[in-house]
Amino acid sequence: MTTLKEGSLQIRFPRGTNVKKFDDSTHGLSHCMKAVDFVVELTDRICFIEIKDPDNLPAQATDKQEFAGKFLADKLDADLIHKFRDSFLYEWACDQVGKPIHYWVVIGLDSLTDAELLNRKDALERKLPVRGPSSGKWKRNVVESCLVFTMKTWNRSFPQFPMSRMNS
Amino acid sequence: MAITKLSLERFTAFRRLEFPVSPGINVLVGANGTGKTHLMKLAYAACDISKTGGGFAEKLIRVFMPSGRALGRLVRRQKLSSRCTVEVHRGRHKLKASFSNHAAGSDSARVTGFKGWTDSPVKSVYIPVKEMLSNAPGFQSLYAQREIHFEEVYADVLNRAYEPPLRGPADKDRKRLLTSLQKVIDGNVTINNEEFFLRNKQGNLEFSLLAEGMRKLGLLWLLIQNGTLLNGSVLFWDEPETNLNPKLFGPVIEILLKLQRMGVQIFIATHDYTILKELDLQKEEQDKVAFHSLHREATRGEIVSNTAYSYVDIHPNVIAEAFTDLYDREVTRSINGVGV
Repeated sequence: MTTLKEGSLQIRFPRGTNVKKFDDSTHGLSHCMKAVDFVVELTDRICFIEIKDPDNLPAQATDKQEFAGKFLADKLDADLIHKFRDSFLYEWACDQVGKPIHYWVVIGLDSLTDAELLNRKDALERKLPVRGPSSGKWKRNVVESCLVFTMKTWNRSFPQFPMSRMNS
Repeated sequence: MAITKLSLERFTAFRRLEFPVSPGINVLVGANGTGKTHLMKLAYAACDISKTGGGFAEKLIRVFMPSGRALGRLVRRQKLSSRCTVEVHRGRHKLKASFSNHAAGSDSARVTGFKGWTDSPVKSVYIPVKEMLSNAPGFQSLYAQREIHFEEVYADVLNRAYEPPLRGPADKDRKRLLTSLQKVIDGNVTINNEEFFLRNKQGNLEFSLLAEGMRKLGLLWLLIQNGTLLNGSVLFWDEPETNLNPKLFGPVIEILLKLQRMGVQIFIATHDYTILKELDLQKEEQDKVAFHSLHREATRGEIVSNTAYSYVDIHPNVIAEAFTDLYDREVTRSINGVGV
């Protein structure tokens, strides 16, 4: 098993899975480019995985409203899009974009319902965007699809990549 | 020939609207008061008279029921005298009516294109929000004899439902549709003395004892069985979600997509996320589905429409916005409980 950790959440992938976790030292451009938490290469796709976990916010975040604000739809979407696009450029420049890319986002709030998650997925796909202009000029997709999960729905969808909280 | 376009000027809530229409499924979304039902009723009135040969303005009065049956009340309200124009296009055929806000009855309306329009009739049916089949016995004769305050769509839909089955065996597509509907409603529909019954192994169950959502599906079954919904027909369905359990939306959308593939043009007005999402998930590449988002533009508050051909492109999407609002409130509530 290869375990990826982000804050108090961890995801286990089968041994040998090609996984990458960006941090300051491995990324090298964090002063000017944002990055998703993990890039995981599966047999048929590359997955950009971003984890947004309220438990994983800096301890010095003292303003509750500002804290909550980061998770509201508009700000969250803007951050997710920024991270995806920078990560895509980074991977493209590394010549690592050889498979279709999927964007998987985990929000660590189990109270979110399926309808709300589906709605976030649609919004993200609209804003990223998943499809090119109606003129059909785009010859390839930047991203194939987006999915937004809670830990519970992630585990329902991917029992082969179990996610858990380290303190639980 | 399916409806191809609606053009309105100063009609009811609209100042000016050009409304392009898909020959397949047209989904009208928008907040309350953005004219979804008005557009459907207008198009329905035009389709209906193509078959009956009745007057267009008279049909508008009967379908919209303005107070005192005054046609002029359908003109957009403003202080000075004004005149409205409505056009319904089916390819090269155009039915046009114009009338002033002082028009009392249908006589003063100017209607053009009537001959070409009625020379190529189109079958149509309008399923209103309120279910009618359980109130059917005696309604038709009451409606014919008395001035009761019911929009004519209610009487019309009963007339369509009472039409006898088509002669001969149903073709393969129709048979399949009827069978899938029968599975959902657990039986088929029979009529006895103007009364509708669900017939299955347990016997006949009168519609008044049946769940309201099921009565609507029973109506759909009848309309397919009696050939009202065939290649070339137009179906208008106002808020199909009303009284239906969301679990049934999947089968309903599946049936609508199949009807569209058979050549039925469909208009639905909806406030429901599940209906939109079912369409988004079930539609295939060759399906013709247009989402029309009716909304008030920011500067002057006039009603305008954006047409999109996929769910994610609907803009603005008031239904998704409602979920975004719920999402934000849920996030705020959850995070406010987290110690930081």
